[in-house]
Amino acid sequence: MLISTMTTKSSQIFLKSNSEIIFLFGSILTSLGILLVTVGGSWDITNHLLSKPETFFSPPHALMYSGVAISLVGVVLTFVGWKNLQKFKHNYFLPLKIKLIGIGLLTGAGPLDFVWHSYFGLDGLLSPPHFTLIIGMFLCSVGGMIGISRYLKFNDSTSIVKYLLILAVIPVWLSASGIISSLSLPFSSTDFFEFNPEPTIAFIIASLAYPFLISLSLTLIFRLSNHQFGIMSVLGGLFLLIYSSTAIIPNFAMFDTIQFYSLNLIPFVIADIFLKMNRSKLSRFFVGGLLGSIFYLVYYPYVMYTFNEILLGKLVSPSLIYFVYFELIQTVLVYTIIPAIIMGILGMVLSVNLSKKILMT
Amino acid sequence: MNKFLIYLSCFTILSLYFILTIFVFPSEFLLTEQLVPQPVFEAVLSETNIDVGDSFRLSIVSENIGDYADIHIVSIAFPDLIEIDDVVKIATYDFTLSPSYISVGEKIGSNYSGGVETTFAEYPSIEAMSRPLKSDVETYFDVVVTPKKSGIFDVYVKSIGIPHSSDLSHYPHSGTLDHQNEHVLVYSVTVNP
Repeated sequence: MLISTMTTKSSQIFLKSNSEIIFLFGSILTSLGILLVTVGGSWDITNHLLSKPETFFSPPHALMYSGVAISLVGVVLTFVGWKNLQKFKHNYFLPLKIKLIGIGLLTGAGPLDFVWHSYFGLDGLLSPPHFTLIIGMFLCSVGGMIGISRYLKFNDSTSIVKYLLILAVIPVWLSASGIISSLSLPFSSTDFFEFNPEPTIAFIIASLAYPFLISLSLTLIFRLSNHQFGIMSVLGGLFLLIYSSTAIIPNFAMFDTIQFYSLNLIPFVIADIFLKMNRSKLSRFFVGGLLGSIFYLVYYPYVMYTFNEILLGKLVSPSLIYFVYFELIQTVLVYTIIPAIIMGILGMVLSVNLSKKILMT
Repeated sequence: MNKFLIYLSCFTILSLYFILTIFVFPSEFLLTEQLVPQPVFEAVLSETNIDVGDSFRLSIVSENIGDYADIHIVSIAFPDLIEIDDVVKIATYDFTLSPSYISVGEKIGSNYSGGVETTFAEYPSIEAMSRPLKSDVETYFDVVVTPKKSGIFDVYVKSIGIPHSSDLSHYPHSGTLDHQNEHVLVYSVTVNP
């Protein structure tokens, strides 16, 4: 009895003295889990397009389900950490609340997906269970990002530790990309439902939302890290690495285009250099516009499907993906470059307010 | 002065980046040769003359003798039927995707456009699909047909490779045109009363 009481007391002491670290660890796990889900999801889309034989135990599915499990553990740890917090309890409540809603949607989407498949067979990219899943992923990653950012702020973290923000922001960028892709890619037509977005609306969504998101993600991390030089390049480079390894490399017909895709690191590095040298309004607007303008290049290759619907209407089989993409590139830029630059600037402007809210400054 | 040089370098690199990604790489990649899959098939009828109530077997061995095909299709159509019902049964099938049954009135692709141009099915058909199909790989598709009426019973057979990059990407290359305005080989069986 005495031993049991002592053990309980010592574990309570441990929890209370390490509550903030536990909260951070939970946030890291949540973000890491969502990162795995998004990587697995992108890989899974490629496998579907290539019609690779699919079983439940395919590597992308393994990655996705492991990600969900890790996120779930992360949210539980976040809750345990938050419950035992001695200080900043109020400040850490928002990320916890967002994560709880997110994980509820994320785990609820599984049974919903099972029921949906039972009634309607295979579903496309956009379906009620898939959309629930993606929104859940997005909320979990936002909760993780706010949690990590606030921890780093309250604990006056060093430059090196600030690179943890990359793990915080990349799942938000990828899951938000998933939302935009669901609402713009024509991958959602099934025997039972026609969930493919209307081509003109899809065109508008892709032209406005992707540039906004790229600029917002990159300038947000720059602000959250207190203007850390190099952080935008690392985040952008990681995004390119994830996209190339899940959407380009698995398709042997596109393998040679890797060198083209890797060039997209250049604008991220230039944006970093510009903001390092000068953070004037003009410089920030230039960076926002630059980051917005490259959306068609950064979202290679799948963004092409959205624009092909309206501009060419070609049948795109896997080996034709890059032909159609390159056939469209100049036309797409003519139509989208101005709105993309404007949305990029808007993303940059919003990142100022958003970072203030996240960091409570 | 240093700042000026850095800005100048940045703008030069950015200009190079846009020139390479928007003009140079696209024109380079568009010059590369597209894959040309070349489907062919051999179809053999077990009987050419049967009585009503008897069955015949149509055995098809198809192959892609060209480049890698994203999709390899073999289609069997029955211009004398209104519905497939129990007249046609699949006996052998080793394509990677399940067979697709097309009914009269269904919207289908035409002119080898892969669904970009469409028309409506005038008679039923069955489509077998493998995604993808490498070169020199054979696929098997046999059906057993039991006509219910006497007369000449025709079966249309064709194969298409996607990407449909040239006239070599479909087989046969000429002859009878079906409801999709695509060439077919016609296999006829006389059904006696």
